[in-house]
Amino acid sequence: MQRDKFFKEIENLRHPNETLVKTHCSYCGMQCGMNLRVNTETNKIIGVEPRYDWPVTVGKMCPKGVTAYQQTNHDDRILKPLIRDDASLKGTKEGFREATWDEAYDLIVKNFQQLQRDYGKDSLSVYSGVSMTNEKCYLTGKFARVGLQTRYIDYNGRFCMASAAGGFMRSFGVDRGSTLPWTDLHETDCLFIAGSNTAECHPTSMFRVWAVQERGGYLIVADPRETPIARRADVHLDLRPGTDLALANGILNLLIQNGYADEEFVNNHTNGFEETKELVKEFTPEYTSELTGVAPEKIIRAAEIYGKAPNAIVMFARGIEQQVKGVDNVSGYTNMALVTGKIGRPKAGVATFTGQGNGQGGREHGQKADALPGYRKINNPEHVKAVAKVWGIEPEEMPKEGVSAYEMFGLMEQKVIRGLYLLCSNPAVSAPNLNYVREQLKNLDFMVCSDFYLSESAEFADVILPTTTWSEDEGTVTNLEGRCIKINKAQDPLGESKPDWQIHVELCERLGRGKYFSHLKTAKDVGDEFRLASKGGYADYYGITWDKIEKQDGVFWPCKDENDPGTPHMFLDKKFYHPDGKAKICALPYRPPAEEPDEEYPLRLTTGRVVYHYLSGNQTRRINFLRDMCPEPYVEVHPETAEQYNIKHEEFVRLYTRRGEAEYKVKITEAIRKDTVFVPYHFGHDKSINLLTIGALDPMSRMPEFKACAAQIEKLELKKVQ
Amino acid sequence: MKKRLYLELENCIGCRSCLAACTQCGGHEERNRNYVYDVNPLVNRQTMPLMCLHCVNPACARSCPAQAIQIHETGAVLSALVEKCIGCQNCTIACPYGIPKFDTEQNLMYKCDLCIDRTKDGIPPMCASVCPSNTLQWLTDEEIEAKQKQFNLDNGKWVTSMPYLEGETNVRVNLPGILQGVTKLF
Repeated sequence: MQRDKFFKEIENLRHPNETLVKTHCSYCGMQCGMNLRVNTETNKIIGVEPRYDWPVTVGKMCPKGVTAYQQTNHDDRILKPLIRDDASLKGTKEGFREATWDEAYDLIVKNFQQLQRDYGKDSLSVYSGVSMTNEKCYLTGKFARVGLQTRYIDYNGRFCMASAAGGFMRSFGVDRGSTLPWTDLHETDCLFIAGSNTAECHPTSMFRVWAVQERGGYLIVADPRETPIARRADVHLDLRPGTDLALANGILNLLIQNGYADEEFVNNHTNGFEETKELVKEFTPEYTSELTGVAPEKIIRAAEIYGKAPNAIVMFARGIEQQVKGVDNVSGYTNMALVTGKIGRPKAGVATFTGQGNGQGGREHGQKADALPGYRKINNPEHVKAVAKVWGIEPEEMPKEGVSAYEMFGLMEQKVIRGLYLLCSNPAVSAPNLNYVREQLKNLDFMVCSDFYLSESAEFADVILPTTTWSEDEGTVTNLEGRCIKINKAQDPLGESKPDWQIHVELCERLGRGKYFSHLKTAKDVGDEFRLASKGGYADYYGITWDKIEKQDGVFWPCKDENDPGTPHMFLDKKFYHPDGKAKICALPYRPPAEEPDEEYPLRLTTGRVVYHYLSGNQTRRINFLRDMCPEPYVEVHPETAEQYNIKHEEFVRLYTRRGEAEYKVKITEAIRKDTVFVPYHFGHDKSINLLTIGALDPMSRMPEFKACAAQIEKLELKKVQ
Repeated sequence: MKKRLYLELENCIGCRSCLAACTQCGGHEERNRNYVYDVNPLVNRQTMPLMCLHCVNPACARSCPAQAIQIHETGAVLSALVEKCIGCQNCTIACPYGIPKFDTEQNLMYKCDLCIDRTKDGIPPMCASVCPSNTLQWLTDEEIEAKQKQFNLDNGKWVTSMPYLEGETNVRVNLPGILQGVTKLF
């Protein structure tokens, strides 16, 4: 299905003594198709071959994807459980010894049971991630709530997709990251992309983006930096970090004032138009310009193009979402599509660029503090009843709502949370305000970390459990389109490593909770239970079988039964998921970032990614090619700003905020605003820019404001050559 | 059907996936053989790939005193033959594009062979297979001709500037830029 003009029938190169295993990349939400080359004599992964027959990416891969296979048989893999007896060494790599699984499990069970006896069930917590299959994400939720019986579970999507989820739930009543398949992108007439460094973070979208311009369509990009995609945009809205909502309101005002509102659509399929129209009146091009720093004529031109375009797609990413008003920014930009009726048909709609590989599926199936499988809510008794039935527990046994990822560190400080089970995440690099976060990890009574490398967060653990890479297990993930796809196993787990779902089952058996877990013998068993648990929820996966995924090149949710082909395009019937079937146009008063520049801290610090690294860099910093291309972080500074501070290209500076400091090499570039500096966040220890970022949270999504805080630079005169 | 490597320089996003992919080609010993340049790094993010253009009458091969650089029947200008290369580096000086690289330890020149183990059977080279921005494409002459018409170029010099440098090449480069001559939809 959806084989478009980019799709070509191409045979793969096949070497003797090799098989090709069809699968997808381990990294971002694009989930590019790839073939892993497996040696049939050693049964080991030895390389990669493009997957030309995957309709979304047709063989294309970014440098992370090309080298992803090198993770699996990497020298840094943890091959056996590790135990550290000397707690004074926490926060370092030192003191770990190899142990058997039995010894590691026994130690975990002893400590977990002791903590729960002394301080109650909720003294334990689970902190998870979404760079793993739906099966694992689903079982992690059940592990916390049924296995450990704690309310405290949350996940790293709080630093990633939580604002998009909140915004979509409010605007549409449902949170599917894209209202349309990616194979529509190149056929639209205007792409409006806000806060997405697409060329570096989702590179395999780029051939479709450029194709829009090649057809004579328009590209509008809102970003404080002139990123590779902004460089070629028809209009680059170079706004101050943290001012997106003003820009969204300003453009919406122009769309309404200039007659681009679709009255029929607005009247029949939305609520909230009049109130919003009144609110945005204030956002004239001049006032919007004052707030955002974008020239009024650019704002006018952007609104004109979006308004005139027969079809347009509004897209955004972490740039707008990692703010204390991330949810409002999402609904604010979504307003553009709802007011003009450019949604609910092919080639028009709204999409977020999902960050993690399973950022979509992983947030739907019960790893969130407030959510249960199928996007059900834990504070809704009917929802609890449905899931409790599948899990074989009484509804009363279901733990209550917990707290968000960053707030868990607060509870660690208060000693409410004393034990932590961490998997698939590296908060010692990825969380904001790291001096504080690392202190809380260090002060835990007992911490378990499941990972395949010794991450910066694993350095705080008492026990490290060796888990598998994505290529040593099978299961499904849901890509950034909302398309559920299949990850295939290419080799047996290295050393004694085990997939996380198996670790959960074995641990629960030892915790005396085996009757809820022992029937899960394979990833498919977990998958079948998860489909059942999602049945009837907003995100209904019941009809998504592995066979159907294979036959259809993936299945878009919702997919309610065996005969349902799934839902590539959302809202084709103009029915939204709020009870009255209407979408909500949101009136959103502007508010500034939590911390504005002042005399002491006059610069705006923003953070982001480079094309060579993924998230905390725990995986990509170990891959030779990627490390060679970007071995260390740097701070981007505009030449005029650099001159004020008397800093030259490649000199070292101390960058500091109210929360922390770090030293970086300066990269002079005109491709950034004069009032803003940028540092990539993929690096650990004293190189982490998150030592400086702020822990201020969006009131709805609990997303920290990674994208804007106040900072200052000091030139380092005598920096020794490193 | 013969296909060629075709470059639309303006599409380049600087991801260097082509270089990563180059290391994955069977005969490449995990060393990449081409280049991606930051055009003006202190100013903007513009980048461009510099790939071997596989000249019809290649200066590298002409300059080789040992006939170590063979031309494959597909037109691909191959890497130096290990048994013939004398390490004189004439080729690195002769090539107007600076393509051949030199391994001082092995005293051996190595360069892009257009993934000959793939392209001899009509499979696209690794770089063009993975390129996320369609800067590098693997196209038939008909497809290239259609592109030439589509962009309605005004100077007729969209193929690697013929009378200059080295003359006709097997690789085609869209020099004036992909958006030149594009009519906006509205």
